Amino acid sequence: MQEKRNYGAPENFSNRELSWMAFNERILGEARDKTLPLFERVKFLSITASNLDEFFMVRVASLKDMVDAGYSKPDIAGMSPKEQLKKLNKATHSLVSLQYSTYNRSLVPQLEQNGLVIVEKHEDLTEEQAEYVDQYFEENVYPVLTPMAVDSSRPFPLIRNKSLNIGALLCKKGEKGEEEFATVQVPSVLSRIVVIPSKGEETVIILLEEVIERNIQKLFLNYNVICAHPFRIMRNADLSIDEDEAEDLLKEIERQVKKRQWGKAIRLEVEDGVNKRLLNILKEELDVEEDDIFKINGPLDLTVLMKVYGLDGFTHLKNPPHEPVEVLEFNKDEDVFTSIRRQDILMHHPYQSFEPVVEFIRQAARDKDVLAIKQTLYRVSGNSPIIAALAQAAENGKQVSVLVELKARFDEENNIVWAKKLEKAGCHVIYGLVGLKTHSKITLVVRRENDGIRRYVHLATGNYNDATAKLYTDLGLFTCNEAIGEDATAVFNMLSGYSEPLNWNQLSLAPLWMKDRFLYLIEREKKHAKAGEQAHIIAKMNSLCDKDIIVALYEASSAGVKIDLIIRGICCLKVGIPGVSENITVRSIVGNFLEHSRIYYFENGGNPEYYLSSADWMPRNLERRVEILFPILEKNLQEKVRHILDCQLKDTLKAQILQPDGTYDKIDKRGKVLFGSQAFFADEATKLVKEAKKQVTDKRVFIPETKPEGAEEE
Amino acid sequence: MKKKTFAAIDVGSHELAMKIVEVSPQTGLKVVDHIRYGLDIGTESYKTGKLSYEHMEELCHVLREFVKIMQSYKVEDYKAYGTSAIRELDNTIIVLDQIEKKTGIKVSCLSNSEQRFLDYKSIAAQGEEFHKIIENGTAILDIGGGSIQLSLFDKEALVATQNIRLGVLRLYEKMRYIDVKPSQYQSVLAELIDTQLAVFKKLYLKDREIRNLIVVDDYVSAVIKHVYPEIDKKGFVERKKFLDKMKEMQIKNRADVAKQLRIGEENVPLLRISSQLIKSALEFLGAEYLWVPGVTLCDGIAYDYAESNKWIKPAHNFEEDIIACAKNISKRYQGSKRRGETLEQICLTIFDSMKKVHGLGKRERLLLQIATLLHDCGKYLNMVSVGECSYHVVMNTEIIGLSHLEREMVANIVKYNHEDFAYYDEITKDGGIDKDAYLVVAKLTAILRVANGLDKTHKQKFKDVKTNIHENELWIQVDTAENIALEKGLFWNAARFFEEVYNIKPVIKQKRSI
Repeated sequence: MQEKRNYGAPENFSNRELSWMAFNERILGEARDKTLPLFERVKFLSITASNLDEFFMVRVASLKDMVDAGYSKPDIAGMSPKEQLKKLNKATHSLVSLQYSTYNRSLVPQLEQNGLVIVEKHEDLTEEQAEYVDQYFEENVYPVLTPMAVDSSRPFPLIRNKSLNIGALLCKKGEKGEEEFATVQVPSVLSRIVVIPSKGEETVIILLEEVIERNIQKLFLNYNVICAHPFRIMRNADLSIDEDEAEDLLKEIERQVKKRQWGKAIRLEVEDGVNKRLLNILKEELDVEEDDIFKINGPLDLTVLMKVYGLDGFTHLKNPPHEPVEVLEFNKDEDVFTSIRRQDILMHHPYQSFEPVVEFIRQAARDKDVLAIKQTLYRVSGNSPIIAALAQAAENGKQVSVLVELKARFDEENNIVWAKKLEKAGCHVIYGLVGLKTHSKITLVVRRENDGIRRYVHLATGNYNDATAKLYTDLGLFTCNEAIGEDATAVFNMLSGYSEPLNWNQLSLAPLWMKDRFLYLIEREKKHAKAGEQAHIIAKMNSLCDKDIIVALYEASSAGVKIDLIIRGICCLKVGIPGVSENITVRSIVGNFLEHSRIYYFENGGNPEYYLSSADWMPRNLERRVEILFPILEKNLQEKVRHILDCQLKDTLKAQILQPDGTYDKIDKRGKVLFGSQAFFADEATKLVKEAKKQVTDKRVFIPETKPEGAEEE
Repeated sequence: MKKKTFAAIDVGSHELAMKIVEVSPQTGLKVVDHIRYGLDIGTESYKTGKLSYEHMEELCHVLREFVKIMQSYKVEDYKAYGTSAIRELDNTIIVLDQIEKKTGIKVSCLSNSEQRFLDYKSIAAQGEEFHKIIENGTAILDIGGGSIQLSLFDKEALVATQNIRLGVLRLYEKMRYIDVKPSQYQSVLAELIDTQLAVFKKLYLKDREIRNLIVVDDYVSAVIKHVYPEIDKKGFVERKKFLDKMKEMQIKNRADVAKQLRIGEENVPLLRISSQLIKSALEFLGAEYLWVPGVTLCDGIAYDYAESNKWIKPAHNFEEDIIACAKNISKRYQGSKRRGETLEQICLTIFDSMKKVHGLGKRERLLLQIATLLHDCGKYLNMVSVGECSYHVVMNTEIIGLSHLEREMVANIVKYNHEDFAYYDEITKDGGIDKDAYLVVAKLTAILRVANGLDKTHKQKFKDVKTNIHENELWIQVDTAENIALEKGLFWNAARFFEEVYNIKPVIKQKRSI
C-alpha cells in the first residue's frame, strides 16, 4: 500500500492541460521547421490555431467553470483548477507570441519571396489595388454587413462566439460629444481571403477585415470614425461540461448552475496597438479579465491559413499528396467475403485505401445471403458512401442496425441529418446510449452460407469516415473468426439494450472491464519481469492520462519491464523518475498524417500479444465510453503490426522524445540514418502494390483462362 | 444437408432470453446468438398473481423485438415457454392469449417437472462430456428462483429427483426477515439449506457414492469463467478450488466482488446464495468435482425441439431414466421387484399385440410400463385402500421426464387397477385430465387389470405369456404346468372391463408342454 501511494504521488505526473500545450508546441515546431515545404508549414501553423480554439472552448472553459463553482479538487499532478489556469495562461501567451513571430518573421517574408504577397495593412495597398478592393467592398461586402452602434437606447450587442468583429469608436459629425462604440461582424459567408488581381507572376491577397476597416467610414455616414480595430472573443457558452471531467464536478455544477454565468467570455483577442479606450469598453462590456486578453501582432484567427494552403498553384511548395494504394488481399474477381474467408486482413490507412470498408458494406447490401448488417457510426463524412450503402441494404430487405453517436463533439447537427435519412430507408437506428458515448468502431455482417451462419467483422481504431481516412493513420481488421464474430454479435445485442453475454471470447469492452484487462496485462508483464523473463510493453495511442494505468506502468517499470510509449498528444506520465519510470521512454510523432491508431503490444514471456483499440489510456475512454479492444491473432498480421511499431520507434525525423523535465526534444540526427516512419510507410505501400502488379505483367508465360463460371459442359 | 435455424425463447421470472440455434445432424446444435433482457416479472407474479400493465407492455415490446431478430436470422420455427412467473399467475391463460395477440408469439407454460426436464436435457445435450461424467456417481443441482431440483444418477440413468423449496430468490427473501448480523449471514444461510439437504440425503443417498456435481444456475454459471481464468472451456472445477475461491468472495465487500466478477452489485447476494447452495450440496453429497456447463433453459428447449423433429439423434436415452426412476420409487415403497417385472412383461406383450386395436404409441407404452412398476406402491401406506394410496404416492413423487398430465395419467391407471373405474365426468371433475388422456387411461387400465388378474396369486405363473388377436378375442396363451384355476376364476372381473374398453374378449389358453 505504502509502495502504491508512492507511485501515485502528484509529483510523478504532468498536468494534462500543460502537456496538451506542449503537444501544440510540437505542432508549432513543424511550422517552424525550415526543412519542410513552405505551404506545409503554413498548414501546421493553422492547425495550432484551430487546436487552440478547441482547447479553449472545451478545456479552459471547463477549468473556468470549476473555479466559478468553487471546485478545488487537485488534478493528477496536484494542481488546483486555479493554479492550472494560471500556468496555462502563461503558456498560452507564450505560445501565441511564438505563433505570430513564426508568422511574421518567417512565413510572411518567405511567402512573399515565393510569390504570395499578403498585404497586411490596407494602408499598404497601391492605388490600383485600393480601387479594386473598394469596388469589391461595395459590390460584395457592404450588402451583408450589419453595423451596430451602442448608446443609451441600444445596449451592447451580442458578440458571437469565435466570430471576427471590428470594433470602432465614433463621434457624431459636427458635435464634440461623447465617443460612441460600434461594432460590425466580419461576415463569415464571405471568404476571408480577398485575391487582388495582379499583373505580375505573384498572387496578392488581403484579408477581408482589412477591406472592411478601410471602408468603415461608409458604414457610419453621420459619424467620424476615430479608430477601428478587429477583435474576437471565445465564450464558454452553450457547451456542456467536457466528458473528461469527473462526475462529482457535474453534480457540483448542477448545484451551482444559477451562479454560473453562461456565455461568459473567456478570451479576448485584439490587435496589438489597439486604442486604449476601445479596449476598455470591450473589457468592461464583455467582462474579461486582464489575463484573458491577448494582444495580437498580426491577423486574428490564424485558422485562415488553411485557406491560404488551399490557394491554387504553389504545388511545388506542398508535399505531393499520397494516393492511398489498393489492398492486395482483396481481389476484384471475387467478392469481399471470399477474400476475408481466406485470411484475416489488416489494413493500414491512409497508406492503404479505405475503399474496401466501403466496398464491404456495399457488397453486403446487395449480397443475397446477407441477413443483417450492424454498425456503429461516430463521425461520418458529409456525403458518406457508407450511409448510402446502409440505406440501400435496408431497402434490399436486410436487417440494418446502426448506432449513431449524437454526442460526438461539435458534430451533433450533422449526425442527426443522416440518421434521419437512414431511418427513412428502414434501418433500425439507435441514437447512442444514455450516459455513454459510443466510440467503438465495429461493423458486423451476418451471412447465411451453406455450412451455416458466418459472421464477418470489421474492427478499427478510426472512424468510418472516408474523408479523414485519407489524413489519419489508422488500422482496420477484417475477420470471420468465429470467436470474434460471437463477441461482435454480443456487442450489438448490448448496444440494443440487451444484457451482457455470459462470457466474452476475444473482445474487451469499455466501460465494462477494458481497464481491468489493461491493468491485468501490465501486471502480467511485471510478473514476467520479476520472474526474470523478458518483459516489454509497446503502446501507441493519442493520449495517456489515466492515473491507474500510469501507476501500473510505473510499477511495471520498476520491476524491470521495458516500456516504450508512442503518444502523439497528452502524456501525464513522467519519464526518468529514479525508481519509478527509468525504464519508460515516450516519443511523440507529429507528421503530415495525424497519428491516430492505438496499438498495444505485450511481450508475455516470449508469447507476444497484440491488441488494437478505439480507446486511449484516458479515463474518458476507459470509463465513460463504449470502446472495444481486439486482439490480432494471426501470426503474419502480428508481424505487420510489429513492423509498424518498430518503424515508429526508429523514426528520427518526426519523433520527439519526452525528457525528464517534461519537454520534448527532437532526435540528435548526427551519425544516425534519417528515417521518417510516415514517409516510409507511404513508400513501402506504393512499392508493394507496384511489385505485385509487376509480377503479374512480367510473367513471360501465357496463362490460359480457365473455364468461365456457369459454362455448361457439353 | 442444409442447417436448420431455430429460436428458443424463455420467458423467465427475471429475464427474457432467446437463443438462435443452428441444427444439423452432423454438427448437432450450435448457438449463434443469445439475447437476454432483464425483466423481473417474478416478484410481482409471486406476490399478486397478476402482471401489471407496464410489465405486460415491456414484455410484449421485447417479444416483438425478438420476432424481428428471428426474422433477420430467417428461423424455421420457434418455441417459447414461460416458467414459474407465468405458471404462478392467477390468469395465466388470459395473459398468454394477450401475448399471442400482441406479439404473434405463442408462449406455453411449463410445469416445474417439464422445466427441470428441459434443463436436464440441456445438460445431456452437451454430449460427450455428459456421458463421461455420469459414468461415475453424479448429481445434478438445478438452482431456480423459487426452488432447487436435486437429481441423482445411478449407472448412467437418473434414478431420483426431488424438488426442494430452496430457490435463490426465496432464500434471499427469507433471509431478509431473519435478523442477522452480516457476520452471521452466511452461517445462518448455510443452516437453512443444510437442514433440508440432510433430509434429502437420508431419503435418497443411501449408499450411493457421488463424485460429480453438475450445476445449472443463473449466477455462478455467469461468473465461473471470471473466477477461474484457468478453468477449461468445459467448465470443470475441483471442489477444493471452488470452496477456496468462495471463501475469498465472502470476505470481500459487495462492490469489490461486483467489480472483479463484472456483475451488477445487486446480483452479488444472489451469487452468494447460489454459491452456498453449491457448497452445501458438495458437502452433503461428498462430490469431488463440480461441472458448471453454463447451459440455460433455452438450450434444453432447442435440444428438445430438434430431437423430437428428428433433426438430431438423441444424446441420451431419457426413457430409461424414467423407468429407472419408477423402479427406484417402487423399491422405496417396498414393491415386489419380481411381480413388477412379471406385470411389465405381460402388459407390454398385450399392448404390443393390440397395436391396431388401441392405436397408441411409444409414449403410452412407456406410461403403461411405469404404471406396472408402480402398480401397488400405495400398499406401503395401507393395504386396504391401495388404489387411493398409490394414486397419492405417484402424484406426490417426482418423475423427471413426465409431464404433469402424464403423471396424473399414471396415477389414475394405478388407482383404477385396484378400484372401480370412474368414468369421464367423475375422473375429470378435478380438472387434471382431458378427454384424450381419459381414453388413454381407460385403455391402459384395462390392460393392466388383465395382467393383474393373470397374476393375482403373485406367483408369476403367467410369466412367459404369449398373446394374439383372434377375431373378437384376445388369446392369452400360457405355457405352464401349474394350476391356474384361481386366476381363471378371478379373471372375469378384469376381462369384463377389458371387453368394455376394446370390445374384445380376453381368453386364457393353457398349454402344458412338459
